[in-house]
Amino acid sequence: MLTGSRTTFKVRQMLPDIKERMLSQSSIGARSRDVFGLRCLPGECVLQRTVMVRKKLTAREGRGWLSGTLFCTHFRVAFVPQDSPKADDNADPILLGDHDIALASIEKVVAVGPNRTKLVTPNSSLKFTPEELVLYCRDMRVMCFLFDRLTPDAQVIEITYTIAKTYQPLKPGSVLAFQNAALGSVEMKQFLSNRRRDSHMNWFESASDWEQELERCGATSWRVSSVNDRFEMSNSLSKFIVVPQKVLDTELKKSFAHFNEGRIPRWCWRHPRGSDLLRMSSFQNNIYHEKDDIRNLEMVLFGCQSSLCVVVELGDELPSPADIQLAHSRLRALCLGDISSSVSVPDDKWLSTLEGTHWLDYIRSCLRKASEVSCLLRSGHLTVALQEVEDRDMSCVVSSLVQVMCDPHYRTQQGFQGLVQKEWVMAGHRFYSRINYHRESDKEESPVFLLFLDCVWHLWFQFPSRFQLTDDFLLALHDSVHLPLFSTFLSNCQRERCKRSQNVGQLYTPVNGWRDMLGPDSSSDTSDPPLPPVWDWALQYSRERRDGFVQPVAPTPPLQPLLNGNLNTNLDTHRLADAGPGSVFLLSRGAFTCPANLPPWRSGGSGAYRKSHRRALSCENVPGLERLLKAWALTELPQNTAAASGPKGPLDPYEPLLPLLMGPCMSLWRECYLRGALHAQAFSHPVSANRPHPVDRLAQEVQQLRDQLAQLSPRAAPDTLTVTPDPRRPDTNLNQSANNSTFLYSALRPKSTPPPTSTNQHTSRGPPSASAPPPRPTRDGPKHSFLFGHSAVAETRSDPRYHPPPGATKLPKSNGSSLTS
Amino acid sequence: MTSKPVLISQTAEATHRAMASPVSEYHSSSLDSRIASVDQEIIYMCPFNGAVKGKVLITNYRLYFKSSDADVPLALDVPLGVISRVEKMGGASSRGENSYGLDITCKDMRNLRFALKQEGHSRRGIFEMIFRYAFPLSHSLPLFAYVNQEKYTDNGWLVYKAMEEFRRQGLPNNKWRITFINKSYDLCDTYPTVLAVPFKCKEDDLRRVATFRSRGRIPVLSWIHRENQAVIVRCSQPLVGMSGKRNKDDERYLDLIREANDTTKKLTIYDARPNVNAVANKATGGGYEGDEYLNAELVFLDIQNIHVMRESLKKLKDIVYPNVEESHWLSSLESTHWLEHIKLVLSGAIQVADKVSSGNSVLVHCSDGWDRTAQLTSLAMLMLDSHYRTLRGFQVLIEKEWISFGHKFASRIGHGDKNHADQDRSPIFVQFIDCVWQMTKQFPTAFEFNEHLLLTILDHLDSCRFGTFLYNCESIRDQQELRSKTVSLWSLVNSKMDIYLNPFYTPESGQVLYPVASMRHLELWVTYYIRWNPRIRHQQQSPVEQRYKELLALREEYLKKLEQLQLSDSSSPYQLANSTTPNTTSSTASTPSQQYTHLQTPF
Repeated sequence: MLTGSRTTFKVRQMLPDIKERMLSQSSIGARSRDVFGLRCLPGECVLQRTVMVRKKLTAREGRGWLSGTLFCTHFRVAFVPQDSPKADDNADPILLGDHDIALASIEKVVAVGPNRTKLVTPNSSLKFTPEELVLYCRDMRVMCFLFDRLTPDAQVIEITYTIAKTYQPLKPGSVLAFQNAALGSVEMKQFLSNRRRDSHMNWFESASDWEQELERCGATSWRVSSVNDRFEMSNSLSKFIVVPQKVLDTELKKSFAHFNEGRIPRWCWRHPRGSDLLRMSSFQNNIYHEKDDIRNLEMVLFGCQSSLCVVVELGDELPSPADIQLAHSRLRALCLGDISSSVSVPDDKWLSTLEGTHWLDYIRSCLRKASEVSCLLRSGHLTVALQEVEDRDMSCVVSSLVQVMCDPHYRTQQGFQGLVQKEWVMAGHRFYSRINYHRESDKEESPVFLLFLDCVWHLWFQFPSRFQLTDDFLLALHDSVHLPLFSTFLSNCQRERCKRSQNVGQLYTPVNGWRDMLGPDSSSDTSDPPLPPVWDWALQYSRERRDGFVQPVAPTPPLQPLLNGNLNTNLDTHRLADAGPGSVFLLSRGAFTCPANLPPWRSGGSGAYRKSHRRALSCENVPGLERLLKAWALTELPQNTAAASGPKGPLDPYEPLLPLLMGPCMSLWRECYLRGALHAQAFSHPVSANRPHPVDRLAQEVQQLRDQLAQLSPRAAPDTLTVTPDPRRPDTNLNQSANNSTFLYSALRPKSTPPPTSTNQHTSRGPPSASAPPPRPTRDGPKHSFLFGHSAVAETRSDPRYHPPPGATKLPKSNGSSLTS
Repeated sequence: MTSKPVLISQTAEATHRAMASPVSEYHSSSLDSRIASVDQEIIYMCPFNGAVKGKVLITNYRLYFKSSDADVPLALDVPLGVISRVEKMGGASSRGENSYGLDITCKDMRNLRFALKQEGHSRRGIFEMIFRYAFPLSHSLPLFAYVNQEKYTDNGWLVYKAMEEFRRQGLPNNKWRITFINKSYDLCDTYPTVLAVPFKCKEDDLRRVATFRSRGRIPVLSWIHRENQAVIVRCSQPLVGMSGKRNKDDERYLDLIREANDTTKKLTIYDARPNVNAVANKATGGGYEGDEYLNAELVFLDIQNIHVMRESLKKLKDIVYPNVEESHWLSSLESTHWLEHIKLVLSGAIQVADKVSSGNSVLVHCSDGWDRTAQLTSLAMLMLDSHYRTLRGFQVLIEKEWISFGHKFASRIGHGDKNHADQDRSPIFVQFIDCVWQMTKQFPTAFEFNEHLLLTILDHLDSCRFGTFLYNCESIRDQQELRSKTVSLWSLVNSKMDIYLNPFYTPESGQVLYPVASMRHLELWVTYYIRWNPRIRHQQQSPVEQRYKELLALREEYLKKLEQLQLSDSSSPYQLANSTTPNTTSSTASTPSQQYTHLQTPF
């Protein structure tokens, strides 16, 4: 397979018989995938290797330089550090090592010589031997490799050429080639088709997924409709949509025509105070309407709320996709700098140039809109419908931001992944066009999803303790978007995805196994490789990296796994209830109006409409709503007091996280945009970056002490310090003794019952009213802290944390009881 | 921790706590020994909440205001020391609501405005009281620190002893000696009494060098690298003047400094000023080292003078108080140049630290060697020496490089002085603390102290409650018997250290920290500069931090238990073996557990 001198390798086209042989070899089980120390994917070929290379480490990696060997395969540029431990041959393949970069992520290759720099393209020829090779990536990383004086010149030049020739500027053919290089081998296909998908998150693919969500939210008067099962009603909507229980499918069918792309008002989420969040596209007004249509619309729109509906128009105050695209490209240019063209913004103009990109402005406007909506929902018992012309961009941003702000479940990793499935993937955000992997829809390109991730990062940055997921997770997701490998991002809607998977064959067996229903497992001979979902993180990241996706100390899990929609509503609600049933208001530019003709086709049966719903309407209702919004502006004060009372004070878990949006509070996501910049060195203590978090280290110490104690005194205190014999779950044990907060990262993984799992359990058990614990009183001080524990657990046993033992003897005892519980 | 009420409410949190007690119940502690009795109805023109009615109480230490309106819970607790200016606003006849009252400008990034009833000269009493006690020196009254009766368990004046600190650095040695030539401040009245100079240098040489250095501030050692013996030496500018005077003794002295370290081929002289300013200084008799200094190289660090810094911070105040510019925040921030100055100071210090850690001795000066020089040497030492990153070590650093070497705190802050427009005032020390804060942000586990310490230091920089930052130099402090008559700020800090500790501190000796001095990575210190804005969310204790403290307590428990078991069962084969447990001992281990128990008690 490889010819050439000891140091240079050229690759011949793989002949079919060689392919056969590789396959037969692997089936025997001798699958040594190590090629000169590089652990190759099945079918991956090393094109070039260069020894004695140093890689510049970022602050996160500990800074400085790391020596090793640089490889270029037809899938990635890989760097293997010296003395890196030999990987286990039987371990599952990981697409990219910690120091690797996929060819598809590379945007620019720059060679740095003794006194010049040159952008290397497939056609360019080098007139000097590079000392340094800089790879600019689409995900805003910058990889910098330094060649040693002892590195053979030929190798240096060869690898530079090879990378420049193999990485392709994205275009239709190259993406497929890349996918094939990564996943196309028979072995890889087999491997992927045997992978089970994460059952701890909600994929929102089946009707039962949606029912589970309805149950979790306590949205009882809604139902899952399969009216769009064959995508006949709407191309871009998912198979299943959630509509009011009382609306029949036949009635529903008549509504589709009245909305752009048939995207009728659909339920997204229910606030525990009983407000519903809906999404819809703009009205179609060029078709004939019947009286019934209006009635149907009203039924869909008002859903189960009899009182009040606020339509939030998203067009006005939010950036357009084109705005976002422009801002993002400016931000890229600003943050990356560019040594090839050496146009870098002078440091003293950095702040004003950053301001000039408007990126932060756009984040602010998204967060502001989401805060407004959250405040409306908080007031209880109304319907908020987000309306956007196409309902496929900013409404994804706003609806998911609202849910992150209001629902702690969506601040866990699994919950967040479910949210993206629900509001982006299934709702038909046009990932494929917006990301523009194929460079065929430049006009459509717009990183709306990246803007959303940055908004979430801002929330995380301002409320780190209220999130279970970390910025590392957000960063991993950010980077994955730039890799054209994931089914999640490679289609514009569910319909396209279904089409594709019919071609390719079902991948990722769902747990309940409806794979068989869809037909035989087409294994090898399709032209397109099967694509994994992005959520299969083990494909991309090592265990250590994945451990960093969640906080070492868990924030509050949602106190009760079910939101039953019956949380105490505050006084505002009653005031609002006066607004009279069935009023529709339009919120635009921070002001409410009662539109004379909200649905533009009212001409047909407007009389009925007015009669049924507008009678109670009067002008003084509007101030009532405005007060809600004003409350938002002022909440920053009351919230401040709540925060000041800290963990002692009761904190309503559903109190929305309202971010501060003043200039000084909006910061740049440096860990993302500036991590590759050549001047960037430090974000953290250089040494500690490689070490476990101090909390982790201490937790391990405590664990060791516990073990010692248990060993020392099996007879002295058998009941006080029980160590579970099960060696696989030491952390679980520890976890419980620490009152449900965790000592270790690992304790947060599903096996030790994190919130999402319990969600599943509860939903399978019975009706929400029966299994849900009574709604948590909001003002009952001592029993709760937002940080730790389920309230139920805290109530059933004396909690040692809140009642510190006067002597040393009591503590183990209470620990013991918690161990047995 | 409940021993004393919140004296100075810096944070909103504290303010809210203070709200709980009405003015009448206001705890007068030993602090307010002489309650100056102004207690009257007043309206506070709050820039965030509008006019707030309430009562004001003025003591010889502070102004305390509490709203009498239950709907607007608000309290102000302002040490009179932070007031830089009091003005009467409006006259007895001026029209308009709330147009008659007082305007107070503070040194800590805020202004206060009070309105009173126009009848009966109601503001006269308040105005005079404030004027008298905010500016005691202008009224021949003692500074509050001299009447403060507070007692603390720890005596902060013992934190720094010059000899001890030199000994810690390994001095004297065969290259450097300690001299007491300045014992009675006759060599240099703004230097401390104990100095470290090259071993080969005679006392007479020092005197001759002193004639050639501005204000006699001769080059003396600040810090020596333990391994490579490279040193940081500080001084003032040479008195070159227009005629380009030379001084053989000074030239020889600098060469002695260079010789004291074998690896220094050329002594690097860092002149903190911009080149043009250094040249301009020749006109007033100063200047910089020229080519006549063989074996030396001169580098200008381009840091602006005290007047530029003062104006920069003034501009910053304009954009953050009371209202924060929103739409063009970043460009407004840029136009203040505050972060740019921070960047220049930091990058200067990085250059110094880098030179020294690579084995090259350096000499640092500006004009007089008490502003920019202090910033540079102390920051470089903070980067080089992990001892200064501990709570005690940081106190030593401030005592040594700032207080003992004569940073003119009295002039720069204007303690007790009514002359608010004094051109000598400048936020040089604030800028230094800002630089330290930037470093703690970039290296969150490298410092034993937390942000709260930095805020406390800045609060008491102005408050005059402690003697620590009073007066310009040691000679005057001795004359005023400062150490025997006042309390040190470090007494307060070291009496309850745990609230100033960073739980994530991971000691790393020998690690040189190089922060990134780039606008891309510097941040505005929002929790200091914009802390009066109620919308800025104040940092609560992070859950991770709290968890950490609980784990510490748990570890203590287990250790104790283990010990007991081992005592009772000495034949046990198990040893309190390994690795991790013994490093319990650091001061952090016990104090957080106290914190822990304290945290529990409210439940």
